[in-house]
Amino acid sequence: MSEFELLRNITIGQYLPTGSYLHRMDPRAKIVATLLLVGAVSFTPTLTGNALLIAVCLGIVAFGRIPMSYALRGILPAMPVLVILAVMQLLFFGRAYDPSSPVVFHWGWIVVTAAVVRLVIVSAARFVELLFVTSVFTLTTTTTELTHGIESLLRPLRRFRVPGHELALVVTIAIRFVPTLALEAERLMKAQASRGGRIGGSRWQFVERTRQMLPVLVPLFTFALRRGEELIVAMEARAYTGGAGRTSYMVLRGSPVDWLVPVAALLFLVAMLRAPFSV
Amino acid sequence: MTGARQANGSREVQAGSPLIEVTDLWHTYMAGTPFEHTALRGVSVEVRAGEVVGILGRTGSGKSTLIQYLNGLLRPARGRVVVDGHDLASPRTDLRAVRQRVGLVFQDPETQMFEPLVGDDVAYGPRQLRLPMDEIRARVRWAMDTVGLPFERFKDRYTFSLSGGEMRKAALAGVLAIRPRVLVLDEPTSGLDPGARAELRRRIQDLRDREGLTLVLVSHDMEEVARLSDRLYVLQDGVVAAAGSTREVFGDAARLAALGLAPPEPVQVVQRLRALGMAVRPDALTVEEAGDAVAALLGARV
Repeated sequence: MSEFELLRNITIGQYLPTGSYLHRMDPRAKIVATLLLVGAVSFTPTLTGNALLIAVCLGIVAFGRIPMSYALRGILPAMPVLVILAVMQLLFFGRAYDPSSPVVFHWGWIVVTAAVVRLVIVSAARFVELLFVTSVFTLTTTTTELTHGIESLLRPLRRFRVPGHELALVVTIAIRFVPTLALEAERLMKAQASRGGRIGGSRWQFVERTRQMLPVLVPLFTFALRRGEELIVAMEARAYTGGAGRTSYMVLRGSPVDWLVPVAALLFLVAMLRAPFSV
Repeated sequence: MTGARQANGSREVQAGSPLIEVTDLWHTYMAGTPFEHTALRGVSVEVRAGEVVGILGRTGSGKSTLIQYLNGLLRPARGRVVVDGHDLASPRTDLRAVRQRVGLVFQDPETQMFEPLVGDDVAYGPRQLRLPMDEIRARVRWAMDTVGLPFERFKDRYTFSLSGGEMRKAALAGVLAIRPRVLVLDEPTSGLDPGARAELRRRIQDLRDREGLTLVLVSHDMEEVARLSDRLYVLQDGVVAAAGSTREVFGDAARLAALGLAPPEPVQVVQRLRALGMAVRPDALTVEEAGDAVAALLGARV
């Protein structure tokens, strides 16, 4: 309804407790499975493969008991990017991409081959799949689970001086700040519109919208820096020190059965890599 | 106590035609998502030309949601909002025209300043309206002078070198510069030190008395609301739980208490004196009036 409701369309970084198996699962297993699925999405160049991937993604959304309308909403803000990407690919790839492919459209200097059409569809599908996978992951995982999961997975690398705890903390803070920044951006857009600013408007007037963003972005940066500083002070005030010797309130528990999920994801990835899809 | 400003219940208001009419307004946040939350449940509010309307209510009562309808930041999905003849539900309504008539000053408005120089920041609104240069300059000068930041002295100051009170005033000037007919203020003096707070309150009073602006004031500060408003609406859980003149609403202590609000301290003093059986004038709102009432009582005794 509102031209300013940003948070409504951001599904990444929100947690949605519906109590499904995916919510109860060991976060480490879930992280590994998610990475493997992202791999499967990235390495599948065929139409058939992507159709299959979309089906799998929808299945995962349903398995996580996430309302389909809610999962789909995350795609809306990305629509202009998807469309621009598609237009660029259609206009400028021409014969450069797979010259042997038959031409399906020819007008002036614009040449569209069958291979490019396929590329356009596959790119869009990949984008949507990635969004589904990451949304389901964050919607079913609390930030605490995420931190502990990453930290635990990186622990073996500690002997190579990989700062696992610190990296996990950085990821947590980044994700935690997404809704905070969205809310603040919303507030600033409304504030500037309230004093005459030409803010808002249709999703598709992106040039105009981008130009109008400066009065929102400048205070937003100030806000982000200030919030960052406050966070530092708050952590210092509670005598926060890094990873070594730190015990945790939450103990990761999960059954060994949970590890069957990444195994299944791995098998799926291998199957996708070796599948004899021709298109 | 002579010369003390009369409280507003007795201020003569030429109650004009309704500038803003809100009828049976409902609002649901994050509608259609699992985080759905209904903030307004059938709110009706009216703002007439020239009056000061106070909106009270605890945190989460729907005040901030309601005021976003007053200048078309939100558009009604259920209910009717008419601002100076513009029906906000109609897709043909020119929202920018509405926002030009109703200026909204958010809580902590200094966080929305983005230009390095104060004058440039105040000029943002008029520039966006594509006004001629000399008109922009005249408006910025007027707005800055009105809030008490003399134009010549402050226009080239760095925004971030201002004190908290000055920054708040500069942000207020930024909204005034679009010359709205109605000014909506959300917690205008919160977080300021007592000196800056008193000064800003005086400036707001001037806006009402000298510039004839219609004001909508959202505040937790009962004293402030009592001093400035003609009429009050008290919101609770998204419903108008009480409405009436400032004296009526603050006079009903039992009802206010039930809504989780306490009347301003002078009103409490008078009410307690009456509870002790003393014949004090019951309708005093401000410190000055309570003082007069007590003096009258003492005078009668002597």
